[in-house]
Amino acid sequence: MRVSARGGLLIKSIFVQGPIPGFRLFLVIVLSATLIVLDTRFDKLETLRSALSTSLAPVVWLGNAPDQFSGWVASLFTTRDDLQAENESLNARLLILERRALKYAALAAENNRLRELLNASGTLDDRVIVSEIVGVSPDPFSHEVIINKGDRDGVKVGQAILDAYGLMGQVQSTSNFTSRVLLISDSSHAVPVEVNRNGLRAILLGNGDANSLELVHVPDTADIREGDMLVSSGLGGRFPRGYPVAEVATIEKVPGEQFIRIEATPRAQLSRSRMVLVVFQAEPELDDAVPASQMNAGEEP
Amino acid sequence: MLSVISYPVFGFSIILSLVLSVSLFPVDYFELRPEWLGLMVFYWTFRAPAQFGILLAWCLGLLLDVLEATPLGVNALAMGLIAFLVLTVHQRLRMFPMPQQCLMVFLLLGINQMLVHFIKQTLGADNTGFEYLWPALTGALIWPVLCVLLDNLNRKLG
Repeated sequence: MRVSARGGLLIKSIFVQGPIPGFRLFLVIVLSATLIVLDTRFDKLETLRSALSTSLAPVVWLGNAPDQFSGWVASLFTTRDDLQAENESLNARLLILERRALKYAALAAENNRLRELLNASGTLDDRVIVSEIVGVSPDPFSHEVIINKGDRDGVKVGQAILDAYGLMGQVQSTSNFTSRVLLISDSSHAVPVEVNRNGLRAILLGNGDANSLELVHVPDTADIREGDMLVSSGLGGRFPRGYPVAEVATIEKVPGEQFIRIEATPRAQLSRSRMVLVVFQAEPELDDAVPASQMNAGEEP
Repeated sequence: MLSVISYPVFGFSIILSLVLSVSLFPVDYFELRPEWLGLMVFYWTFRAPAQFGILLAWCLGLLLDVLEATPLGVNALAMGLIAFLVLTVHQRLRMFPMPQQCLMVFLLLGINQMLVHFIKQTLGADNTGFEYLWPALTGALIWPVLCVLLDNLNRKLG
């Protein structure tokens, strides 16, 4: 009985043709072409992408679950002695950092007073929230990560992301519970930076390699050395000023070329960090004033 | 080929393939990751051409676009194309022995990946040589296991 029913269906499913697939293919091609053009040329689809992304949050969560689970199991088997030792070392570290923060508060106040004397606007401390990386982009040719804070936590497109060592990237798109972060090493990313030592400005480009960035358009007479720290200059109006971004690794002078080739190593641990900070730049109405004052400050020396 | 298909198995396999396409693969060998969703579209249109077709494949591709943050429609188009090609060859495909089926999987996934990278490069991505064909190759290698596994699940639960 079952076998014959199966056989009948089998014959049917072999010879069934259904509606003409060619028409559907045409429909799909037209639909996709419209979507691609709308998405890349006019940016009209952010709401659709955000909605789909919100509904796909469980998928991202499931992908992250095994890692969370292994972390949880590992934490179950930590002994009391380990915890105590860890607690002690953390306490010691806290003490050191607090002492540094005390000194920093005094320095920041002094810096603000000096800036007032220079007639520049005072710097404000940025507010941050801590977030966790819950996924990386499945496309091996793009450097993106997904963090577990989204619209719900007030994250906006364009916000800077830091880890404990330096600038990591910026928020590219948000959904309700997660956001997508473009890392500074992506080949489509650029950060305006300055050399911490002397304020020399340049643009730092990602080149698709997580361990090296490219500093472009630096004339070969510029004062730059290996080991120089590059900090964000805040000139694009997108990144907050003064966070370390990279360290100059190699400088190569090519005879006959106008600019020198400079490679820099990112300070942030782009492929290792798990906890990141989302920076909320304080006082958005100051944004217009900041670049002008920075330009003044830059021209003075 | 299959007289019965199980919709829960379908839903589960699709969700699993979406999860697998964002995680659970060693980071160092990222470019070797099989194109899971492409394999699923291939399997389901191959086994149940009357139920699963181009439009469903297109919708699934759209989800992959969101996960991969490619411009909406790129992967969707490529998935629709896989479904179309499977629909045109599925009657012959049944007669093929397994190695030949694997070759077919490689070809169709390769076409899928090529289309995706062609569009991306037109939109301004870097040219990275032929590395993008790895997912098609690993997908073809994993096809026999996947096919037998899903067939068995379908027979048991369908």
